[in-house]
Amino acid sequence: MSFGAPYISIPEFQYLKPKTLKEALETLSKYEDEAKVLAGGVGLLNLMKERLVEPEYVVDIKGIPELRKVTYEEGKGLTIGATVTLSELENNEIVERKYTALHEAIKVLSDPVLRNRSTLVGNVCEAFAWMDSLSPLLVFDAELKALSVNGERMIKAKDFIIGLAETALEPNELVASIFLPEPPKNSASKFIKFRSRSEFSVINVASLLANRDNPPERILRLAYGGATPSPVRVFAVEKVFKQQKPLNELLKEALDVVFKEVSPMEDMHASKEYREHLMETLTIKIIRELWGE
Amino acid sequence: MKMPRKITFTVNGVKKQVEVKDNELLADVLRDKLQLTGVKQACWRGECGLCTVLLNGKPVKSCLILAVEANGAEIVTSEGLMEGDKLSHLQKSFVENGALQCGFCTPAFTLVTHYLLTQKPDASEEEIREYISGLICRCGTYNEIVKAVKQASQYYKK
Repeated sequence: MSFGAPYISIPEFQYLKPKTLKEALETLSKYEDEAKVLAGGVGLLNLMKERLVEPEYVVDIKGIPELRKVTYEEGKGLTIGATVTLSELENNEIVERKYTALHEAIKVLSDPVLRNRSTLVGNVCEAFAWMDSLSPLLVFDAELKALSVNGERMIKAKDFIIGLAETALEPNELVASIFLPEPPKNSASKFIKFRSRSEFSVINVASLLANRDNPPERILRLAYGGATPSPVRVFAVEKVFKQQKPLNELLKEALDVVFKEVSPMEDMHASKEYREHLMETLTIKIIRELWGE
Repeated sequence: MKMPRKITFTVNGVKKQVEVKDNELLADVLRDKLQLTGVKQACWRGECGLCTVLLNGKPVKSCLILAVEANGAEIVTSEGLMEGDKLSHLQKSFVENGALQCGFCTPAFTLVTHYLLTQKPDASEEEIREYISGLICRCGTYNEIVKAVKQASQYYKK
């Protein structure tokens, strides 16, 4: 992400490359705000070029073996390490089959060359409103594992982003991985992104549907990126879809709930009205597609 | 504290040792210290893709990579695609198809499409267009680039 004219150099800092998790956590604990974690570097080095971030220490975590892994346990879920690149996830069969909305988001996130370097965890930690990765993570009930010298804690994706470029992470904490629980049985998911002049979303939407033909057991989840300073899952919409009603009526009720819960922002990319229009159009489109209509 | 350090990497098949500062970018080191001027820079922020190199076999944008991160890595620049002092089939195909006007972006486009064809020699036009979507050609020779890549694909089929 760029906020202005490019600088061609970056300010001085000291580069550290811990070999173990313990060493990395001790380093973060020692330097706290003076240190920044480097994984793919696409976000961090750009922010440093713009002088928006000027750390004294840059802690490269690519030498830590535990963070490089993607593991899937049938019935439990998927764990994605902090240095796993988006390209690796794009080529992961489990991600494509079970976590389709996330896979679709990754395929349209930045470009194939940058995806060889950028990481999912990095994308989430950058915490920009228009990022594509968080709305799929919200519909999958993802959690982030934060480690520090004091131990570990799990932070729900919905609680992780607390504002524009602001996360719930403490300065001495490192996100080691993202955990996505096994999706509900018989579910399918999708992601749709609308962009205008840049690769960033004006609005993106992720949705998950299971048990379409059995209203009491039906699950429909909906999350938006780009609408508000932090991506949002609209939980209130979920009970609307438990009713036995024609799809058209459900959609109408759902949209009423969505706009009661989410008031889209206005910024350089789009007006509030334009965002509302996009949210309505994309919501209808994504649900109809999942519904098979 | 912020003293230069020595890093070692393999560039176009040759082992090199360079002294770099922690805040030096890989693109600058390849261009200025190793005179590999096929590495271009235009945007300095990962958008134009003209600083693309192959790092351990994969195309990456070297303006967003610290030189120290490449310690121990294998790097290929467009100079390394040449066969001796002759252009590769892919590079020749760019020339034959008029896939460049000013030529500033050609090193990056040849590296990225070389990687794609190595992975997928039968890549469709759509796949080629998708794979080059992170690079910018200001002369707008995208159609010719796609033609050049399709023509060269025969040399990647085994």
